[in-house]
Amino acid sequence: MFTDFYDSFYYSLLIAATGTCLFLFKRVQKPFRLLAILTVLTLVNELISKYVALVLHNNSIVYHFFTPVEFLLYVLIYKEFFSEKKWTRILWICFASLVLAEIFNTIFFQPLSVSNTNILLLENILLVVFSLGLFIKIRESAYYEDLLKEGIFWFNCAVLFYYAFSTLVWGFHSIKVYYLKNPPMIIYNFLLIFSGLLYTIFAFAVGINSITAKKRSRINE
Amino acid sequence: MNKLLQINSTDVTVFIFAGIIVLALLFGFIMYFLFSYRHKQKDFQLLHQQKLQMDIQKTELEKTLRELRSAQAQLIQSEKMASLGELTAGIAHEIQNPLNFVNNFSEISNEMIVEMKEELATGNLELATEIAKDIKQNLEKINYHGRRADAIVKAMLQHSRISSGQKEPTDINKLADEYLRLAYHGLRAKDKSFNADFKTDFDESIDKINIVAQDVGRVLLNLFNNAFYSVYEKYRNMPGIQHLAEPYKPIVSVQTKKLHTPSEDGGIEITVKDNGNGIPQNIIDKIFQPFFTTKPTGEGTGLGLSLSYDIIKTHGGEIKVRSTEGEGTEFIIWLPA
Repeated sequence: MFTDFYDSFYYSLLIAATGTCLFLFKRVQKPFRLLAILTVLTLVNELISKYVALVLHNNSIVYHFFTPVEFLLYVLIYKEFFSEKKWTRILWICFASLVLAEIFNTIFFQPLSVSNTNILLLENILLVVFSLGLFIKIRESAYYEDLLKEGIFWFNCAVLFYYAFSTLVWGFHSIKVYYLKNPPMIIYNFLLIFSGLLYTIFAFAVGINSITAKKRSRINE
Repeated sequence: MNKLLQINSTDVTVFIFAGIIVLALLFGFIMYFLFSYRHKQKDFQLLHQQKLQMDIQKTELEKTLRELRSAQAQLIQSEKMASLGELTAGIAHEIQNPLNFVNNFSEISNEMIVEMKEELATGNLELATEIAKDIKQNLEKINYHGRRADAIVKAMLQHSRISSGQKEPTDINKLADEYLRLAYHGLRAKDKSFNADFKTDFDESIDKINIVAQDVGRVLLNLFNNAFYSVYEKYRNMPGIQHLAEPYKPIVSVQTKKLHTPSEDGGIEITVKDNGNGIPQNIIDKIFQPFFTTKPTGEGTGLGLSLSYDIIKTHGGEIKVRSTEGEGTEFIIWLPA
């Protein structure tokens, strides 16, 4: 089922991250529960896409549906982190725009049989913007004592790194290899490694939050 | 288009380099972010500490303020009791007079009753009726002086009581006269050598005005005491006073006046004037400050004028001072009618 090392690497990390998230689900705060749900859904999506690929030899359709769902979960997570009316409005506008763009893109540019890279690119850019916005908010509030011991920091770092790199990959893809039948796999392999790392850091963030949430609840008691 | 469809190793290298640059930039950003966050957090911690310190200071200040208020209340009560002490001698003197009348008239009346009985026994009804008439007059006088003594005791009790703050129609002339006499007799009783004269000039057209009599009485008593103290100090410290061509006559006067003209805003004016030492110009602005006194240690709390100022302000009035060093002082109180 997993064709090569990169695939195996990615799926191993994703399964491990999903297991961790499910194990810690009850002990973490709301945004991290949403993050755990996102990780689980990603694994489910990947398994479905594998199955669809085996049956139809083209799994692009799965991503057309999964991208808005994934973005919705990110929107919900950032909404929790920002907890500001202004940002809530921005996040929902972005979500609505992405859904409309997906429909428009599917109808006019990238049908269900083709990978929705345009929407992935848009999603990546928006997530990079959210991540930078959250960094600014964290800095302004200066609420956390040790940022390196906070799940929010690791989550946001992972989002920034991964989606900035992903933007580069999909940008490169759109410019250079979109029309190629056999594009160079190296860039996708990079993306697989980074994806694996992304979910590993998500699990790490969930783990850290389970510890800090426990500490804070003790202090509050 | 063909060129676009071809991808070579250079493109991949460019991609990898771009990727490395992006990652390096992001890493740099995160490092900068962590650095600036720690810096900002230090500032926040400092601010937080300062806030904590300020909260502690605020709590301490509030505690001190509470203590000060309590001390102030105690001082006010002490000042009141001190003035009561000063009054005691005056009051005793004031009560003594009516008591003397009561005693004398009752003794005389007693004798007259014996006389009347004798006259009745001899059948001299006309004389007996005359004597009975005189006895009646004596009894009226006894009653009058008894009521006077009663009023003095009541006034004394009122003075010592905590002010109810309730304003009631008061005859200001009567109040001023009463306290002037009390102050005078009080000083005389305390110091036999005390010598001063007093004068009153009351405007009889003044109606009763709404004041807290107990408080305004305290103000007047304080001004009279100060005035008597000043004139007597001047008298005592004047060398060879007996040999002067025009001997110094210590005098304190009180005048009340109803203000009629539109420019005077109505109300009443009470002027307490003395021909004592006067107040030096360099301290005249400080006399209404709490704890400011020119009297020797132990003789004054320094709260008298400060309290007087507060009492008059509470009544919506004004208190002003005019003084010429060596010539005398004049306190003018204005109270709304």
